[in-house]
Amino acid sequence: MSSLTIKGRIWKFGDSIDNGNIENVMGGVDPDFKNKVKPGDILIAGRFFGMGASDEHAPRSLKEAGISGVVAESISNIFLRTLINIGLPAMECSGIAAEVNDGDEIEVDYLGGSVRILLSGRTLTGDRLPDFAVQILAKGGLMPYLKSGGLFK
Amino acid sequence: MPMTLTEKIIARAAHRESVSAGDIVIANADKLYIKDLRFSKKEDARGLYGVLLEVLESIGKPNVWDGSRVVVNLDEQPPRTDRRAEGQDRARDFAREQRAVLYGGDDGGIGHNVMVEHGHVTPGEFIVGGDSHTCTYGALGAFATGVGFTETVGVLATGQLWLKVPRAIRFDLTGKPGPCVVGKDIVLWVAGKIGYEGAINRTLEYAGAGIKEVSIESRLTICNMAVEMIAVNAIIPADARTAAYVREVGGGDFSPLSSDAGARYEQIHAVDLGEIEPQVAAPEYPANAHPVGEFKGVKVHQGFIGTCTNGRVEDLRMAAKVLRGRKVKSGVRLVITPASFMAYRLAEKEGLLEIFQNAGANVTSSECGLCVRPSLSAGEVCVSSGNRNYRGRMGPKESSVFLSNAATVAASAVAGEIADPRDFV
Repeated sequence: MSSLTIKGRIWKFGDSIDNGNIENVMGGVDPDFKNKVKPGDILIAGRFFGMGASDEHAPRSLKEAGISGVVAESISNIFLRTLINIGLPAMECSGIAAEVNDGDEIEVDYLGGSVRILLSGRTLTGDRLPDFAVQILAKGGLMPYLKSGGLFK
Repeated sequence: MPMTLTEKIIARAAHRESVSAGDIVIANADKLYIKDLRFSKKEDARGLYGVLLEVLESIGKPNVWDGSRVVVNLDEQPPRTDRRAEGQDRARDFAREQRAVLYGGDDGGIGHNVMVEHGHVTPGEFIVGGDSHTCTYGALGAFATGVGFTETVGVLATGQLWLKVPRAIRFDLTGKPGPCVVGKDIVLWVAGKIGYEGAINRTLEYAGAGIKEVSIESRLTICNMAVEMIAVNAIIPADARTAAYVREVGGGDFSPLSSDAGARYEQIHAVDLGEIEPQVAAPEYPANAHPVGEFKGVKVHQGFIGTCTNGRVEDLRMAAKVLRGRKVKSGVRLVITPASFMAYRLAEKEGLLEIFQNAGANVTSSECGLCVRPSLSAGEVCVSSGNRNYRGRMGPKESSVFLSNAATVAASAVAGEIADPRDFV
């Protein structure tokens, strides 16, 4: 389960970015982002991240670009569930956006529900994921979770 | 312990005596709705059925959990791309092999309308759908919420999903809606008032004496836009109107449920329906709503009446009142897409389609239509009866969408600028 702590450089986005504008690796917000992001980077977003549609190619594009985790001020229910189901760790963490800037390094503990900012040494408390979500993430997503016999019962 | 209506339905689905906000439960779905797009290769190269068959094989199950509880709808008729056509083929294969219920011929239209109009939503049910506007069904007193592609597969394989019981907000409705004020205006007014911060990931309950003044069609609009407030679901306790409607469409038997006295709400808002004017939501957010008068004079290039939000016969009748004997302004296009063939045929029977045609509107067959594909050029403005006006929703990011009820769309198409429908009826 140690894989649920990730460390990486961050890219910060603003509030109210809907599913459609997340398509093609945040293509509706920054068409060039897909060329800038590096595998292992962490995406930070503001409030209401992933509002709108349930279409899954938007969150999948983030995973395929190599983003290793998402932390946002708030995340729509559908989008947060989908990120977890495709095996991309995500967490809500109030106050994160004001604390970090592009290029900062952070360490996110999705199991414990905390974010440590390496430069300042500050630690923020996030909204810890439910155990089911953690178990699904530990298997790499809902499909591997189900295939490994993790039926809900 | 006292429970809200949403908590009661989740508790039953989770086989628990009671649940309360914040609890994590495993719920058993009563129904699952899937749109044809999910079967295309847009989200996963294997398509939904391919992924599902892999999962079923690895867990040693021959079939989905219960095909009779699964409704598949072909939203786009006819399919516009070879990829969509192939997706529909796979949807048909799925429905046949898994014994699911399939719509998509002359009984079809937009899936959410089909679900409601064909009796697949019964008060008290726990319904999951592979589309964000599944929340529409809350209008009939069901718990209904949208899920993504992967979770749709999970529910197909197991009939279950995990869920965090949402915190509740209640709207106590009083009074009667004024002229040209319908569900769209009520929900835009509410979204404008409480914003996203208040509603995100909550359950929204609309109750109070005023709810009896709100038609079933308007209730469907109000619950449809719950996801536009980023809520998990919206719900309206079943009443006599609901019972009559469910009987008419051949829905199942039910015992009416409502929230207990003493159930916990994070917020309670009073809504006087009589004070609500026709609303318009400006780009780029549905909660950016204000009375129509504030937007008078904004030049309009296109009007669109349709969608799972406002393409029902109530909306078409409102639009017809405005368009009867009038013409769409030269240079403006008005596209009218009845949301289902049931609405289309009723509109035809009532002479509404002829009114639209005489006004110079383009009436199309029933589907999601312009809500899900580009129809604007850079700089153009559309007034839409749909649900989303995010940047680039109907064209390039330099185009813009204003949301309103169907009468406001019609009035604006006639005027060539955003107009108050009350000046036209």
